[in-house]
Amino acid sequence: MNELKGGIIPSKTGIRETIIDLIEKSVDKGIFDAVIIPMKVPSGDSFVYVLVKDKKLLKDGFPLAPTMLVQGAKAVSSVTRLGKGNMKIAAIIRPCEARATVELAKLGQADLDNVTIISIDCPGVLPTSDFLEDPDKYLKKFDDAYKNWDDKIMRPVCQICDKSSMVTGDLHIGTLGAKKDTCFIISNSEKGDSVAEKLDINLNQNLDSWNSKVKAISEEKKKKRIKAHKELKSTVSGLDNLVETFSQCINCHNCMRVCPVCICRLCYFDSDKVKHTAEDYLTRAESKGSMRFLPDTTLFQMGRMMHMSISCVSCGNCEDACSMDIPVGQIFSMIADETQALFDYVSGRSLDEPIPLVAYKKEELHQMEDAND
Amino acid sequence: MKNNEEFMPRILAFLCNWCSYAGADLAGTSRIKYPASILPIRVMCSSRVDPLFVLRAYLGGADGVLVAGCHPGDCHYQDGNYYTRRRFVALKKIVESIGLDSDRLRLSWVSASEGQKYAKVATEFTNKIKELGANSAKSKIFL
Amino acid sequence: MTKALKLNKSAEEGILEFLKYLLESGKVKGVFTLKRISKNSAIAYSLITNPDELKDAVPFYPLMPVNAGKLMSRFTLKEGAKKPVAAILKPCELRGFIELIKREQGTLDNLYIISSICGGVFPSRTEVDRSAEKKLPKYWESVKKGEISPDLRSVCKACEEFIPYTADITFDLLGNNDIDKHSIFYLNTKKGEDLAKDMKGDFSEKEFDRKKLEKINEKRQAEKKKLYDEIGKKMNGIDGLVEIFGRCIGCHGCSKVCPICYCKLCEFESPDSEYSPSNYETELRKRGGIKVPPGTIYFHLGRLTHIGISCVACGQCNDVCPVDIPVADIFKKVGESIQKMFDYVPGKDVEEEIPLVSFKQEEFAEIEE
Repeated sequence: MNELKGGIIPSKTGIRETIIDLIEKSVDKGIFDAVIIPMKVPSGDSFVYVLVKDKKLLKDGFPLAPTMLVQGAKAVSSVTRLGKGNMKIAAIIRPCEARATVELAKLGQADLDNVTIISIDCPGVLPTSDFLEDPDKYLKKFDDAYKNWDDKIMRPVCQICDKSSMVTGDLHIGTLGAKKDTCFIISNSEKGDSVAEKLDINLNQNLDSWNSKVKAISEEKKKKRIKAHKELKSTVSGLDNLVETFSQCINCHNCMRVCPVCICRLCYFDSDKVKHTAEDYLTRAESKGSMRFLPDTTLFQMGRMMHMSISCVSCGNCEDACSMDIPVGQIFSMIADETQALFDYVSGRSLDEPIPLVAYKKEELHQMEDAND
Repeated sequence: MKNNEEFMPRILAFLCNWCSYAGADLAGTSRIKYPASILPIRVMCSSRVDPLFVLRAYLGGADGVLVAGCHPGDCHYQDGNYYTRRRFVALKKIVESIGLDSDRLRLSWVSASEGQKYAKVATEFTNKIKELGANSAKSKIFL
Repeated sequence: MTKALKLNKSAEEGILEFLKYLLESGKVKGVFTLKRISKNSAIAYSLITNPDELKDAVPFYPLMPVNAGKLMSRFTLKEGAKKPVAAILKPCELRGFIELIKREQGTLDNLYIISSICGGVFPSRTEVDRSAEKKLPKYWESVKKGEISPDLRSVCKACEEFIPYTADITFDLLGNNDIDKHSIFYLNTKKGEDLAKDMKGDFSEKEFDRKKLEKINEKRQAEKKKLYDEIGKKMNGIDGLVEIFGRCIGCHGCSKVCPICYCKLCEFESPDSEYSPSNYETELRKRGGIKVPPGTIYFHLGRLTHIGISCVACGQCNDVCPVDIPVADIFKKVGESIQKMFDYVPGKDVEEEIPLVSFKQEEFAEIEE
């Protein structure tokens, strides 16, 4: 874990303008060739990531968009999966997206050599269906909520997120605890240091006010999180409850496809392994007298948990995309906390930390062996 | 904004090896003049042209896409161009029905000996595209 | 004239009685239909083998959690049914299955298809917010009168294909004012007749009331025109497409729930459709900026070229879209425009070849002009 260094930059007109200003200066100085940044679509009812090179277009950048339709890690992966290319790219993304990007790099799905990840203190993000009801109204609601760091209208997983200021990329914009008309710019890596240097930003400022504010918010959220997970656990615990929770699931697999860390081109649960003959299905149905068709909904959900919870960043995109409003984000996030805690692992915390299921220590987890003795 | 005289369209032309590509060659060796708007791509048979190629070209900003093959009945592979015809008809209908300019897509039968015809088609199509103007897709960001 | 079976039971009870008879007599080993599957009454398709389980079956419930044609394809893909199974499918689900059979993705062997003159289904949201139960009485009133329930999927309101073509047995629902008292099963095929012949009920020769069905069709056509006009206004050049698909997140949900989309590895998820760093550099030189991941409109147009010819306008794509893009409305309109060119109705006849893999030596001469 790096020791965080930070500087202070002016921020008179608002955080979005500040970031655009910073990026424009960087592009001017040749620090970056292109930027991955959110932008409002022409119809005004959505925000998408755009890889921008043209300075004129940069002005339309919209960091800290009110919605997160595509997880930023997917955007970075889409640009760098097949190699680092010749462009120096900055990615302006939220902390959970930065964590997922780091995780994807470990999974060989993104090349971060030429990418500078810039994250920002995150107030949360709106559920997409709410935003779509009235985009203009909800954008205003989001900006108001941001001013007061009020998460009531944000996604359920955002409301209990204790990592909303976690720094894992190269640079981080710290708005919490900053003096009026300023914000912090924090560096977490040599790449970050170098960018700050080229921009004449002194990284020796005192970060205490940011650190203490972040700590306070994180602890408050942690309390909420523990409480929420306790309640959630009681509603999904046990086979009956589990089956009931997922009874509405139509196996559209939207959750899996929007998940940044579900990367398999051909998912196990779409493969031949789960396709059986009519006779097999009939025999299986006969054993119980009736069988949901297609069967194995719960197996899909639990299987996906098994495959990806070690890398889950609790972004909640799965829940946003669920066509039957099942609280998958909250459930998977809760399980992910527990699986990651088993290995003292936090998904995306560091590029140098191997993913626990593809690493091992010769001596560990003895308490799990013959656990019932 | 360019006016029509200055606008040289970029038209992607999929030409089948045995007939239309040869026909295009003949136009060249016969020194028949036609606009420098055509970017030829040789395929073995017009039926090799996947509608997705045409869509990629259209969305990539090509001002026009021409698909040319042997006359029906004369396909080097017997019936390839019958499929081309159906596929093209369906594609054109999709493009038209979804609100895009289907006039930017053209199918033509040009045999190896029809150098004149190739030049005529190229000229006509170029003029048509000039009328329609440049394909705005080439500058779109939110594609 | 078709042979028909009449039971003096309401439609709800009559169908269950029939299915019970099928299972108890051993004429079929399993029945495939909608069923309440949980304490909170989630409704899902089920394969029922024990007649006692029929008590929770709701065969004509106006919901389509999954297109059952796709499920029948999954059921028979690896190997056809070895023992007889009856399946209750809505007309578009049946047509979807037939289109899949043409693509070698299933078989009708040992399957008995029971369908209905269909009154349409609610969008899946109605199941999510549990308002389906409340909307049911109004729905059935509309069905009895042959009117269009206001709570239907947009494509159901505009559907002219509510009479199944290839079912062995067709249940008389839409426009049948009598469904509270009687159940009518039209036995369209020899298979259907054999299946029903030992059932206790009144057999007769009956005909569809063509006039009544025509009237219903006129109403549907009027709705279709409205639907096409509305969506047509938006389909206005490249900018129109950018606006319609602006919210698209590339989740491909529409493709995954579509009965016709069966490719194990979709073209648009394959390495063919990936952008390399140099592709991005080219695009940036051209445009100055590009949405990432790229290829939103390309995906939808491409999918239209692949499956538009067989689109049965079931509307699953509308329901699954996380950002409410009217995919089904668009695919119905564009799909129908290509289908009409070949006088093709997807799923009407399993022997009829898909137009894009067949040809006539003389046709479409006007395309080359």
